[in-house]
Amino acid sequence: MGIFQDLWAGMQEFGQFLPILMMLVGVVIGIIVGVLPGLSPSIGVALMLPVTFGLDAISALVLLVSVYLASNYGGSITAIAINTPGTPGAVATTFDGYELTKKGKPLHALLTSLTASTVGGLVGTIILILFSVPLAKLALSFESYEYFALGVFGLTIISSLAGKSPLKGFISSGIGLLLVTIGFDTELPFSRFSLGIPDLADGIEFIPALIGLFALGEIFYSIEKGDYREKRKSAEVNLSDTLPVKQLVKLKTVILKSSVIGTLVGCIPGAGGTIATFIAYDQAKNSSKHPEEFGKGSLEGVAAPEAANNGSVGGALVPLLTLGIPGSASTAVLIGALMIHKLNPGPELFNKEAGLVYGIFISLFFANIFMFLIGLLGNKLWIKIIAAPKSLLYPIILALSFIGSYFIQNSVFDVGVCIAFGIMGWLLKRGDFPTAPVVLGLILGKMIEENLRLSLVKGEWIEFFTRPGSLIIILLAVISFFMPYLKKKWLSFNKKK
Amino acid sequence: MKNYLAGFIVLLYLGLLGYLYLDISRKNTFPSRPISIIVHSKPGSAIDFMARKVTEIARKYNDVAFVVENRTGTQGLVAMQHVLDSKADGYTLLGVTKSFLSTVMVNKSKVNLDDFLFLANMVSDPEALISNKNRGFHSLEDIILDARRKNYSQVWMGPGTGSRDHLMAMKCWETLGIKAKWIDYKSGPQSILALMRDEAAVYVGNPADVKGKDGLSIISIASKKRLASLPDVPTFIEQGYDLDESMWRGFAYKKGVPDEAVEFVTGILQKVVKDEEWINYCNNSYVFSNFEGPEEFTRRVTEETAETDRYLNKAGLLVTYIRESPLPPALIFLLILTGVFLLLFLSIRFKIKQLNYDQLVAGGIITVSLFFLYQTFLFNIPGTVNITSPSLIPRIWIIILIFLSSLLIYRSKSKTEHIETSSPGIVWAIIALLLGYLASMQWVGYYITTPVFILSVMYILNYRRFNIMAVNAFGFVLFSYIIFNQLLHIDLPLGWWFM
Repeated sequence: MGIFQDLWAGMQEFGQFLPILMMLVGVVIGIIVGVLPGLSPSIGVALMLPVTFGLDAISALVLLVSVYLASNYGGSITAIAINTPGTPGAVATTFDGYELTKKGKPLHALLTSLTASTVGGLVGTIILILFSVPLAKLALSFESYEYFALGVFGLTIISSLAGKSPLKGFISSGIGLLLVTIGFDTELPFSRFSLGIPDLADGIEFIPALIGLFALGEIFYSIEKGDYREKRKSAEVNLSDTLPVKQLVKLKTVILKSSVIGTLVGCIPGAGGTIATFIAYDQAKNSSKHPEEFGKGSLEGVAAPEAANNGSVGGALVPLLTLGIPGSASTAVLIGALMIHKLNPGPELFNKEAGLVYGIFISLFFANIFMFLIGLLGNKLWIKIIAAPKSLLYPIILALSFIGSYFIQNSVFDVGVCIAFGIMGWLLKRGDFPTAPVVLGLILGKMIEENLRLSLVKGEWIEFFTRPGSLIIILLAVISFFMPYLKKKWLSFNKKK
Repeated sequence: MKNYLAGFIVLLYLGLLGYLYLDISRKNTFPSRPISIIVHSKPGSAIDFMARKVTEIARKYNDVAFVVENRTGTQGLVAMQHVLDSKADGYTLLGVTKSFLSTVMVNKSKVNLDDFLFLANMVSDPEALISNKNRGFHSLEDIILDARRKNYSQVWMGPGTGSRDHLMAMKCWETLGIKAKWIDYKSGPQSILALMRDEAAVYVGNPADVKGKDGLSIISIASKKRLASLPDVPTFIEQGYDLDESMWRGFAYKKGVPDEAVEFVTGILQKVVKDEEWINYCNNSYVFSNFEGPEEFTRRVTEETAETDRYLNKAGLLVTYIRESPLPPALIFLLILTGVFLLLFLSIRFKIKQLNYDQLVAGGIITVSLFFLYQTFLFNIPGTVNITSPSLIPRIWIIILIFLSSLLIYRSKSKTEHIETSSPGIVWAIIALLLGYLASMQWVGYYITTPVFILSVMYILNYRRFNIMAVNAFGFVLFSYIIFNQLLHIDLPLGWWFM
């Protein structure tokens, strides 16, 4: 009975004018934050923090959580429309989302992403409500050995991302892995490979690099090919071309599975939604009946990362609310917000403030539904933007990328990083080197090195194989690495028969 | 119709420019605009939180707004440098913490703490020894006994090597007469998680770290008296060990700020620390409100700098980590580049046309990898610290990259791929425009450079319908003003030239 009582208490907390208003405002702001490249969910939440000083606790948290949730969805819109992930979590969405846009089916991609995000968010919320206590144990059981294994698992995904040439894919990931070693050593207080340049001492800022690789790289590549000269035919983007519900229903297994992956990975502190999106994409491809369509405009390829990304929001709240540990940059800001309202995140919160905690859960539930409605309205607008002539669109994207990289830390150097990665993305692209593995290397490199070295300080390397957690993940990594090749063999073997 | 719209948008834009720039030319007595508080860490961190609390309370006493601005990077050096680069006009205040003392020393930075006027120390956050309840430690004696029993293999942990917490651990070992092993868990949250799993005997941190968490207990705090909000936690001194070590947080100006500004800000801060809301905040975050004016604060900084230097030396952390390169790095890079491509050309017998794009890219990657490899040979790691070498992982990546790139060169030997290009020149023109935009924005400001940039790119891309161009360019600026400035409260730069 306990849970129903708590939910009822939560309903009473949330079901008032101000919290509901804040949820609506939060979703709209969140989508805007997600759409703007450079403004990641954590920056969005941080920007809203001062606004919450004047609010009561429940309204403040509802606002921040709604911004967090909706910005994770918003990032996919630009990923699909203009190949620019609005947030790091939307990188994997570009693989198939933008391909669909190029094929004249942006609405299919946008609707799939919206539906997957909504379902992912709902699944994440339900898991959060029902299983936060056992999940907290999972979060707590992750030691450096498991983090290292998870990093290696993440790297194996390259074998399914690489496309035409696996060799080029691995080279790309190597570039990311090497570049992320620039900056402070993970053990000693000195900066490696920064050549005495103060701005480089902390390494390469991730988001400007991401914007450069994807947005700028794509624009430079398209301009070189001369596609801005093409006159857009209105038939190319068909407004009435809606996606039949039937097709969406077909995606249900992929969406549900990815939502669960997202929630589970999301609840591991420091792993985060972005890694979850890559794992979900990889799993979807490996279990798909049409793996060959991935990377060429598969709806499954859009649904999987988006469901995982929004599922991770519920997951990230698990360690925050149950252990008092922020699992991501966004939840670190939420801790600040809780403390401003004299609330201590952690097990105490569940006991003393059940109404508040469950009020947040309920608000997440409704925020998902409201996000879906706003998203449906928004799609019409995004389609119009996609249909604009490229010679008008490109300068605007360039300017947005520019502000996006500048405002992360008001740094001119970061804009330089963005431009440099833009040039690199362009040079790689024109040689058919995939750019996504570079991002994967940038994300995973630090996690792998930090946790390998921490593990070696703490104990022996053999523990990677004697601890059940890390052993299972390492085995998963091996399977995931060879899966695409085995599957190919299996298919050709069956054909022969 | 479109012409009217274009005209309207341009008029709106001019109106916005007038509004923004006429406003800054109206200068009178201090302060005429909001004062920025530069914070070196992310929103939600302890000092960010304190700065925001001060901002909130100060609003009660004065109409002038303080605005918290987060400039993260290099453990605070980015924020310190930013304040030193700003005008000493009183509009840029720096949030300072005790960790800055070691940051400046360890990084051998050109930032000099003597260039700052340490204006006000606000809080003192005592260092604390925390352990998992499973260990059954109740007093410092329990820790000492356990340390002796384990024969110096007791594990202490916290975030950072050479951090305040690390130095506190060393100070403790000295005072308690024990030896132990320090493991750096990088971040606060990861340290706390490890403590919850009981991976180490002692975690060095601050009392607030245990807030709301089960299973952790504070063994002792290193302050002169007990915290009002934690009356059961004893101090070191009560247990017979003379140790007083706290993290302080306060504010500093760049030296040379007009007296008027110093008096104004000190005046407000003095009111803030007497406010009931401030006292509540301090109790709630388990810190002491400990106001110190410029004289006292500066004396403290000088004394503690000497002490920090001593402990960093003792830990063997004040060494030169990277040896001087015998030749300038740029020259080394050129040498490697020449070498790699000479080899490439040799392998195809000087028929330059046969070198395909893949081989060029692979050659570039090998060059950069070798350049990184060269740098790893310059690392100089003190023997006092027990760690895996910082060059291990980079070298693994380097070897993999060189191997794979060589494989690519070998495989694509015979093929000469033709890349369909039509206009790489335009791409370089746009890159040049981007760089120009970057260089000029700092000086002339966002609102003037942005439309110029957008219009020029459209022009280069052969778009010629001028009314639509105007709607787009100026409309975008208006849109970004509304979104960034009004909705998200991010100030877009107006340009140094006008300030």
